[in-house]
Amino acid sequence: MGGQSIYQNELDNLEQSKEFLKRNDYSQMELQLEFKKLVENYEELVDQVKIITKISDRLQKKLNKTNDALESSNNQLAELNNQLNETIDQLTEAKIGRRASTIVLFIAIGLFVISEVLLEPIIDDMFKDNAFVGLALKLVVAILIKPGEDFANKYMLKQARKKQMEEQKEKRADKKVNKKVKKKRKIL
Amino acid sequence: MDNLIIEGTRQTPEINFDVESGILKLEGRSIPENTFEFFTPVLNWLDAYVNSSPDKIVAKINLEYFNTSSSKYILEILKKLKVFKVEGTEVLVEWYYEEDDEEMMETGEDYEDVSGLPFEIISFEEE
Repeated sequence: MGGQSIYQNELDNLEQSKEFLKRNDYSQMELQLEFKKLVENYEELVDQVKIITKISDRLQKKLNKTNDALESSNNQLAELNNQLNETIDQLTEAKIGRRASTIVLFIAIGLFVISEVLLEPIIDDMFKDNAFVGLALKLVVAILIKPGEDFANKYMLKQARKKQMEEQKEKRADKKVNKKVKKKRKIL
Repeated sequence: MDNLIIEGTRQTPEINFDVESGILKLEGRSIPENTFEFFTPVLNWLDAYVNSSPDKIVAKINLEYFNTSSSKYILEILKKLKVFKVEGTEVLVEWYYEEDDEEMMETGEDYEDVSGLPFEIISFEEE
């Protein structure tokens, strides 16, 4: 164990007893005294081992309890994080949905104006006898509004998620850089 | 004789042993990488302090957590305090624990039993 040990006293006592054993000239009285000393030291060591083991086990229990509490807090935190992400997703979807509806509405108005101003006179000229053609064209525009809105919604959502992922990637990269900097600082 | 003051760290406890007042404070967390190196000056200081024959010593121990080898050294410190008692010094150990920390309270009781020193086991509220 060398010269530096937490059991230095005990090792010293053991060494003394070993040295005593190497002698051949001890009397009965000396032997008895040495044995008594050895028993006392042994008894003290056993008491120490008992108490240290007991305390160590108890503190291990405390450590386990702390770890359990920490794990539970982490789980709660992860759950809350998931809920937060879900809410953010829902908010993003709602926001994008509203924007897509507005865009599609403007496009529909545009198409309506175009059909009224530009196409209507041409259609009237081409199909003088059939008033339903113009009506059918407007009907097509009206039917296309909903799928158009869905398409715009999906496209914009896809773009928003892409942007979100890129932001997360950047954040992770920043974190990695910060960790490396911290490590370097520690080394220095 | 000088006071013994060791700043506490994340791994070692704060030690403040005051010669004049006889108050020996040991606070914090004790998980040193090398317990021998950390506690040897503490034990040596106590050995030297015996010669000062103080009238009274109050050891205030407030540990949040300590490792196995530290538990051995705490026992050694208590053994040294027993020497003071034998020499005629009035010795009191105040063992502090956070009110929910059942383990630390029981540990104090164990040290009280094994050391044969008068203990006050004192709870305090979490900060």
